[in-house]
Amino acid sequence: MRPAEGSVRAAYADAIAVLAHRVLDTLRGVGDTAPLAGFVEGAADPKAALAAIRIIGADTLAAQALGGAAAHPGDVAAVRQAAAVFPTPVHVPAPPEGSAENWAVAWRDWATARLLERHADGGAETHAPQPAAGPALAPNGSWQSWAVLMAQLSPLSLPGVEGPVPDAARRHPVSLARGITRAMLRRDYPTAARLARWIAVLHRDGVPLPLDPAPLVEHISLHAGGGTRLALDVAIARALLATTPGRTAG
Amino acid sequence: MTAPVTSTAHRIATRALGWLHTHRARAGLPADTTADLGDPNSVYKPLGETALAGSLVLRDAAAGSTDKRIAKELLDHSWAQFRQGDLLYERQLRHQLMTDPLETYAHFARSGYHHEGMARLLRHNAGLASVRAAEVVPNRRLAIANAARLAGVDLGTDWDALARATWLGAAAEPWAIDWMTAYAMTHTVFHLTDWGGRPEGLPVEMAGYLTTWLPVWIDIWREVSQWDLVAELMIVGACLEEPLCDPESWAALAAVQHEDGLVPRDGEPVAEDEQQRFVDHQHTAVVAAVAGCVAVARTLTTTGGTGA
Repeated sequence: MRPAEGSVRAAYADAIAVLAHRVLDTLRGVGDTAPLAGFVEGAADPKAALAAIRIIGADTLAAQALGGAAAHPGDVAAVRQAAAVFPTPVHVPAPPEGSAENWAVAWRDWATARLLERHADGGAETHAPQPAAGPALAPNGSWQSWAVLMAQLSPLSLPGVEGPVPDAARRHPVSLARGITRAMLRRDYPTAARLARWIAVLHRDGVPLPLDPAPLVEHISLHAGGGTRLALDVAIARALLATTPGRTAG
Repeated sequence: MTAPVTSTAHRIATRALGWLHTHRARAGLPADTTADLGDPNSVYKPLGETALAGSLVLRDAAAGSTDKRIAKELLDHSWAQFRQGDLLYERQLRHQLMTDPLETYAHFARSGYHHEGMARLLRHNAGLASVRAAEVVPNRRLAIANAARLAGVDLGTDWDALARATWLGAAAEPWAIDWMTAYAMTHTVFHLTDWGGRPEGLPVEMAGYLTTWLPVWIDIWREVSQWDLVAELMIVGACLEEPLCDPESWAALAAVQHEDGLVPRDGEPVAEDEQQRFVDHQHTAVVAAVAGCVAVARTLTTTGGTGA
């Protein structure tokens, strides 16, 4: 790796960690009124800041998705700017024809646009075409690789996104439960935390599950260490669980 | 997908059994062995495990005539090492609360071997409160209960209550299992179903729980090449009323088996020294032989195994 490339990557990783922290604060009800705008304005490297917004994607609007509030106009502008600087490729065929990774990115970008439409005052300005659904949305014999894909698509578990991806999650509770159990036993807590969000969605929607999500989320949380991104996934999973009647936010 | 599993399982079992048979002279008790057995795990326990594999091959009608002959010779070898049962009898008589003589004898009883003194002693012991009340963890208590059943004595076992008392009976969080608990869980299934001989012995809810989680456990222990445990988990799959025999897992087990029939216990290098190879991997050969044997019998007698 060339030194310049390494420093760019480090700058992006730093930006993602800082932004995840801000989003987490917003979710906890602390921090700025326009955390995303403030993040871009205060960034030493604005391009890295916009890249971080694009990568965290729909989760930057987690507080609005979970709480129903409108996003600050400055935050809406920041998300739109990130989408303009880092646009979704125009043609992203579903796997196996196209790359699963690019396809997952297209879905995440679509989810960001969906939440922006719902939570931006003054209506939509974003036009993100919905990616092709494709056979990859069903386990098709490999619950392992399907669960990894669903972990990559975890931002689509936020309320208000809906569409074929959450529908697919609801159709395959056992594959999701196997996937999260596999991640736990492999000590892959980042993947487990992402899948916990889907498990929490299914629990909220009354889909019968072969495992109890509450102790699972608590266990992941105990393993979370200092990872802000993982902490954000755990916080979202907890918030989704708390929307279930009879449960309180933990 | 049944046919490929049946033939793969048969090949694994035949080769593992053949390897145990080829090297059986390496498993011999020292001439001065007494009922106290200074080191019961070195030779005595493996001889009993080999007898188990042999007894299952003879029990399950699916085995071919060569496999049956080899199985019988393995049982005869172990029986001769145990001095036609005298050693088991003396050990049980001297150590009344030990359960390994009964558990070892049961493999022979399954195949029609008999020791009159041992049979009398076991009947006597079975009536003692001291024997029945010995403090043993539930999956081990199931092993004793199944051995007693095979030996024709009644310990007054409440099978349902005992099954519920195990880790498996708790329908525990599948993500909180560990290596040792996984082994214990497999043995709960082995003894409740008598190694696939009576699949109905496993309560329906436990079978459902295993159908959901067994694919995960096989996957994660396969990834780290814990072949001994993987093969034990594959036996569990074959013991279910609707067998869970994933063709890919069977192909993976077949792929790690050496040309001579050795099945490595894990991903570590296999020793060059023949005696060391035998000592290190004997248990896994027994497990592979049992796994193959039970899977063949179960996939032939049911509508077929399913992968998941």
